[in-house]
Order: sequence, then C-alpha cells, then structure tokens
Amino acid sequence: MVHVYEFMWRVLHVLLHIHRTFITLFRIRLRNWNGQLWSRALAALLVPIALSFPKQKKLVPAPGKRVGRRYRWGADGKSLEKLPDHIGLLIAEEEPRYTDIANLVVWCMAVGISYISVYDNHGVFRRNNSRLMEEILKQQQELLGLEGSKQHSVEFLSNGTDKQDHQVLSCQSVVKVLSPDDGKLRIVQAAQELCRAVEQMEKTAKDINVTVLDSLLRESKTTPDPDLVLKFGPVESTLGFLPWHIRLTEFISLPSHVDVSYEDLFSALQHYASCEQRLGK
Amino acid sequence: MSWIREGELNLIEKLSANILKAGPMPKHVAFIMDGNRRYARKRQVERQEGHTQGFDKLAETLRWCLNLSIHEVTVYAFSIENFKRSKDEVDGLMELAKQKFIRLLEEQDNLEKHGVCIRVLGDLTLLPLDLQQHIARAVVATRTHNKCFLNVCFAYTSRHEIANAVGEMAWGVEQGLIKSSDVSEALLSRCLYSSNSPNPDLLIRTSGEVRLSDFLLWQTSHSCLVFQSVLWPEYSFWNLCDAILQYQLNHRPLQKARDQHREGQALQQHEADRACLADLLQHHGNGKPLDAQRRREALLNYTASREERVQDFLGALQALVRSGTDVGRLGLS
Repeated sequence: MVHVYEFMWRVLHVLLHIHRTFITLFRIRLRNWNGQLWSRALAALLVPIALSFPKQKKLVPAPGKRVGRRYRWGADGKSLEKLPDHIGLLIAEEEPRYTDIANLVVWCMAVGISYISVYDNHGVFRRNNSRLMEEILKQQQELLGLEGSKQHSVEFLSNGTDKQDHQVLSCQSVVKVLSPDDGKLRIVQAAQELCRAVEQMEKTAKDINVTVLDSLLRESKTTPDPDLVLKFGPVESTLGFLPWHIRLTEFISLPSHVDVSYEDLFSALQHYASCEQRLGK
Repeated sequence: MSWIREGELNLIEKLSANILKAGPMPKHVAFIMDGNRRYARKRQVERQEGHTQGFDKLAETLRWCLNLSIHEVTVYAFSIENFKRSKDEVDGLMELAKQKFIRLLEEQDNLEKHGVCIRVLGDLTLLPLDLQQHIARAVVATRTHNKCFLNVCFAYTSRHEIANAVGEMAWGVEQGLIKSSDVSEALLSRCLYSSNSPNPDLLIRTSGEVRLSDFLLWQTSHSCLVFQSVLWPEYSFWNLCDAILQYQLNHRPLQKARDQHREGQALQQHEADRACLADLLQHHGNGKPLDAQRRREALLNYTASREERVQDFLGALQALVRSGTDVGRLGLS
C-alpha cells in the first residue's frame, strides 16, 4: 500500500513539474510575440494561484524614444497611489544575469524609488560588486540617455563606508548590494558590540531594547526598511534577506529575472500600491 | 478537547494525506491566522464572533496537522502591535484567551493522553495578571508532554524576541558567565523564546496579505513561505494540503540553502575561535609562537572551554526563566 502512495506522489509531482515547465516555456514563447495583453490573458488561465497576479490594467508600451520612455516611467511612478521608498530585489536563481538586474535597477530609479537593494543568497553580487555597478551605469546610459542619467543620479553604497546621513535629493537613488552577511551575521555583530559595551561597563543588560538594537542595525538614520521585496525565482523563501528589517515588508514573487520586462516590474508595483497595511490595528 | 478538535479524516482526505506523506513532510508549521475580522464583516457578525470562529478553526487545523504527522505548530495569536486596537476588541481577545486557557486546564487528562505540550511565547508581562497566571498554569501542567507541541505567540513580536535574546546574552556577560566574543548566531538562537523548537519548515499566512508582520523573522529565514488568500476562519484541509505541496516543491533548494548557511556559520565560528585564541596568546602567552600541532590543540581546548561556558550560561538562564514562570506568574512569591 505504501508503494502505491509513493507512486501516486511521484505522479503528482511529475505533473506539477510539467505544469511549471509548460508555463515557463509559454511565457518565453509569448514574450517573443507582440501580443502582450493576449499573453497575459492566456498565462492567467494557466498560472497556478501561487504565481498569479490579480488582474491589473496593463499599460500598452509606447513605441519609441528614450526620452518618451523616461518620462513615461516617471509619470507611471507618480500615477501610483503609493510607491515604495525602499525596494529589495531578491534574486533566488542560480545564474544571475547582470544586464537584466541592471535594467530593473534603472527602471526602479526612473519610476522614482529612492533606495534599491540587490540581494542573492550566495553573496555573488557582493563579490562582483564592481561588475554590477558598471552594468547599472551602462544600462542607465542605454535606457535613460545622457540627459536622463544626469537627472537621475545614482549613489552606490558599499559595506562599511557610511554611517553618515545623506540627504537623498529628488531624482537621486541609492543602490546597495546585499548578501546573507548583512542579515543574521550583522545582527550577531550588533549583539557582540552591545555585549562588549556591557563588559566594559558602558551599558547594562537592562539598557538593551528594540530601539537600541534597531539604531545599530540601521544603515543610517534616513535609510528606511524595505517596503517591498520583489523575489525572482521559483524558491518560496526570503533566503536570509535582512531578517531584522523585513518585519512589514510586502513580498511579491515574479517567476524569473531573466528577460524581465518593465511591465512585469510595473504590475508588481501596482499590486504593492493596492496593499493595505493596518500595522496591528 | 476544545483546543484540538476530535475526529478523523474522511476517505478522500485520508487518501490525499497518505499520498502527501510519501514525500518530505514539514515537521514544524507556523501559521499567521489572519482574516478573522474580514470574515466577520463578510458574514455580517460581530468581530468577537470572527475571533471565536478563528479559534475553532485553529482547533480543527491542529487536528489535521496531527493526522498529517505534523507534530509541532506555532501560531501568531496576538502581536504587541495589536494592543493598538480599540479597548473593546483587546479586552474581548484577552477574555477569549482566558476562557480558552481555563478550558485547557480542565481538560488536563486529554492533554496527557495526546501528549500535548503548550508553550506561550512573548512578553507575557504585558498581559493582564489573571491571564498570565492561567497561562503559567497551562504551561507548567503540560511541560513534560512530548508527543506534540503547540507554541502560541501572545504579546509577541520578532524584534522584541531578538532584542530580549540579546539582552539575555548581555546579562550572561554581566554575570561573568560568558564573554562578548562567545556571542554567535547559534547562541542567539538558543536565547530566543522559541529555543526549544526547531525552526519552522513552513510558514503559512492566510487572508492574502504578503508580509511577515514581525513574526519569527529570525527563525523563518530559510523556511518555505506560503501566502494563501483564504480567510482564516474559512481555512480547509485542502488549503493545508496545497501549502504542504508548495513545501515539497521547495524542499530540495531550501535544504541546500540551509546546508550552505550552516556551513558558512561553522566556518565563521571557527574563524572567530581562531581570532580569539590569537588574541589570548598575544596577551597571556609567553611570546613564543606555537607550532602547528600545539596551535591545533590550543584551538580545540579553546573551543571546548567556550562550549562549556555557553552550556553553563544556558543552564543558568533556563533556571532563571523557569523560576520566573513558576514563582512570578503563579503568584507564589
């Protein structure tokens, strides 16, 4: 009897995998067609609940010049009821494509998001920090043009350089590359710092509370916690992304960052704009 | 038994359960039971009725978990943030909780029979004193049971839990039981309210919200997250099966990620021990560099002594917490 159940379990999982593969292939196929709306309608029929978006109005892409696109992206951002102050791009896929990630970052900047964090759970982006930065600057030129790049300036934060407060000017974005070390390890380091202070009688154990720990873990007084994390890839987990900072973060999953389009990003932002946070009340 | 609905699965449910159980099953599932108030609005009943139905649904879900051989469940019953709600609602919830815990104590024989161990995690000092006492009695009464575990997060937020754990390690340093260099990820985990439980394999949130709301942020960093749009009082056996299926689909990549993280942790600990040893030798050594063999021995000795320190500290902490529960909450002081 046990073997029968095992067999049926295997059949079930084979069917699920076929379903998933079919959806991925379908997505890739349909992306190459121009019928975006049609592809969304078809995909909505097939995509299982875990992967689907609520039906949103899709903007038809305007043909044309960089300037047109740049202004449209900016207008899109303003048209949303709320825009995240800090967005996290969690790449839960094995082979990162730097160009696609750079595109995502540039689109986020163009739409008006001030803080953008990029994360993968192997620390690959951290190790290849400079390559990612170059790719972002390159795509910034490509997508926004020279004028746009001057208007939307980007500041890269690398680890350990700053605890200073910086004023984020309008049309300026801050990009940070994160790895698992910024998560639990950072909390442990903050704990060690506080315990050292106790050892040296500068603090007592009773002084330690959420506020104290939070101020140590904050990038700077002005950096907000991530409001939204876009997760790319099939794995349904935060994979160690900033455990302390994600207490109120909305998580939206997208199937893949490979060949991701602006429309994919924007529909995720629209979904975020419709989320209602009651904050316990 | 009021906390766990009596009953068995029907034939189709049993069949599906057996098929699911042929694959990897979560041993510990966490639930964010969201949607009671929206359910009440939908059904046009009082909010309190929504919460009561939510509790009944919890009892039913615990029954399903036992049928599926899931022996540990953690639920998010009340957040510290929920104190911001209207006084009526908060009082209603406290009253509901009190009644449920009183019922629980009346059913002690059943609890013993099913081997249910109830733990309540959170800053219980924020609760009304009579509720604290009922909770303390329930926890003490079921402490030795070990067949299945129900962890109820009440007056809980993850940040408070983590800050509390850091505070406890700082207490250990103050008492001279551990050094600040002994602080590690593993030690922090063992100072959390949830230290007696393994990390949840699966976290389910109902009602369509896609956030964690300050629940088990540390413990669920490599758990499978499933967000379901059904409202909690309408949760069904099939919703649970769907979530478990998601867990099974994610099992291998998450296992791999967890193993990688653990290896990284072990490496970091090893490096930290070496650094501490180097520091020690510099300050207390006789200036002569050690050969490789001596260094290895010294490192092993250092690691062993650190682990002993940590064990003593954890023992002292347990004793303190236990005496706090028994003495303080039961009003025996």
